Amino acid sequence: MLVSMINHAMVRLRSLLVREIRAFFQARGYLEVDTPKLAPSLIPEAHLEVFATELINPDHPCVPLFLIPSPEVWHKRLLAEGSGSIFEITHCFRNGEQIGPYHNPEFTMLEYYTVDADHLDSITITEALFTHLLDALTPEIAAMPGPGGRRSEQSRNAPPARDLTVGHRHLERLLPPFTRTSVRDSVLEHTGLDLDLLTDSESLRTAVRQLGLHVEDEESWADTFNRLFVDRVEPAIATDRPLILTDYPSGIPVLASEGNDPRYRNRWELYVNGVELANCYAEETDANAVAHFFAEQTAAKRDARVPHAVDPDYPHHFGPSFPRCSGVALGVDRLLMLLAGEINMSRVILFGMSGILSVSNYR
Amino acid sequence: MIRAGGIEKGMCLLIKGEPHAVAEREFVNPGKGSAFVRLKLKNLRTGLVLRETYKSNDNVETADVFDRDVQFLYSDGENFHCMDMESYEQFDVPMAGLEDKANYMKEGDTYTLVMWETTPIDIKIPLKMVFVVTEAAEGVKGDTVQGASKIVKVETGLEVKVPIFIKEGEKILVNTESGDYVERVNT
Repeated sequence: MLVSMINHAMVRLRSLLVREIRAFFQARGYLEVDTPKLAPSLIPEAHLEVFATELINPDHPCVPLFLIPSPEVWHKRLLAEGSGSIFEITHCFRNGEQIGPYHNPEFTMLEYYTVDADHLDSITITEALFTHLLDALTPEIAAMPGPGGRRSEQSRNAPPARDLTVGHRHLERLLPPFTRTSVRDSVLEHTGLDLDLLTDSESLRTAVRQLGLHVEDEESWADTFNRLFVDRVEPAIATDRPLILTDYPSGIPVLASEGNDPRYRNRWELYVNGVELANCYAEETDANAVAHFFAEQTAAKRDARVPHAVDPDYPHHFGPSFPRCSGVALGVDRLLMLLAGEINMSRVILFGMSGILSVSNYR
Repeated sequence: MIRAGGIEKGMCLLIKGEPHAVAEREFVNPGKGSAFVRLKLKNLRTGLVLRETYKSNDNVETADVFDRDVQFLYSDGENFHCMDMESYEQFDVPMAGLEDKANYMKEGDTYTLVMWETTPIDIKIPLKMVFVVTEAAEGVKGDTVQGASKIVKVETGLEVKVPIFIKEGEKILVNTESGDYVERVNT
């Protein structure tokens, strides 16, 4: 017997969410862009596996193409050519990740770049986005039929929109302002280790081993840091209020600009319930720094299951003409989970991969 | 050895020289970092809970844990003495940590030993077992306040709360997890 996999109320809520995200950015003068899902080359990122396909070119050699793991590769070219502030809601594809409550190989990303802004400005913009979304969507969510019956007496009596969060505590908790903590302070609080003093791989490995964690010899600073973060910090910050972790250590290679203290970068991540919801940089604008990142990550990707092409000229888009700007990548499916109070992504996306694989013959 | 990314719930791993069963497994991908596996493990000897985090391409040692059917011979207060009735191999299972199982060990009965390499680390008790009532007071008439029940002793020394109609010499079925009386067994 066929069982319907479709939650119509959720399909509607997603549609409203996308509409309201558009309304928010359009009202603030951002240009919505529509960039390709297929790219001949990507920005190398050592920890990501991608999907590969090929363009069949009759009577000519085939051209390898890759599904984008993020639209960043296009957005930075647009910014370099003077697009001004832009945003896009697009599907992204990541291979080799375990399908689970927070992961689907194909997912929806909201990416927005604000010119003449830094990562701190992006916090203000992201908070304004949340305020807008909660104002616009709370009545809809309050009226949704769902587990535990969200349609309460209170919501039917229709007080002003914001007051509807009363009785919908999962929405109340998402209201800005968000708590801000630096990665250094958070690590110090939850592990007792001071990252200021642990800038080389050897001393970090020794300190993390002393806490009783498993550490491999010769692993990178970033790997050891992530062990510590995943084991001790992430579970400790797993509260249901949004938390902005700022100033990530420079030992984690990313395309964010260097902070006033060169040990840290101008980057933040937004966490809710210990789950990463958004990542933000004050963008790196120095061509040499971008070229260095490309070389380092290309080398680190030697063992990738799915190798992909890298455009050696890509770093040339950066330089004097590249605007000072800040970009945010936000997982729309995870945001929808938070708004709807769902704990599994398969409940908020249509035809999630775990569902379609288990009912098909392609297991 | 197994890659940490391949670890499943229920697997047995050798961690810090001790056999552990995987009770929970969760995949975590930190932003801009490689994949990690967060585990909740139970030490199979001590029962202590351990939490560990591995990178999914770390190698983790597996513990060779398997079941073996044995006959329980007797206990000397320190060890349960058991024998594999096919190979006649004898095993001394230390009672430390297994004290709560002593009342369910009946001489001559068959039990399943959980072995880690050559060392027995646990004994599995059947969920329901039949015991002979060895000591029972006569039911006191009019004692209905406690649902007309009384405490009896069975051949292993275990005390069980039973209905007042149960007499010395009768057989009863007992739930070994809760220690509760299930029913009278007529044979």
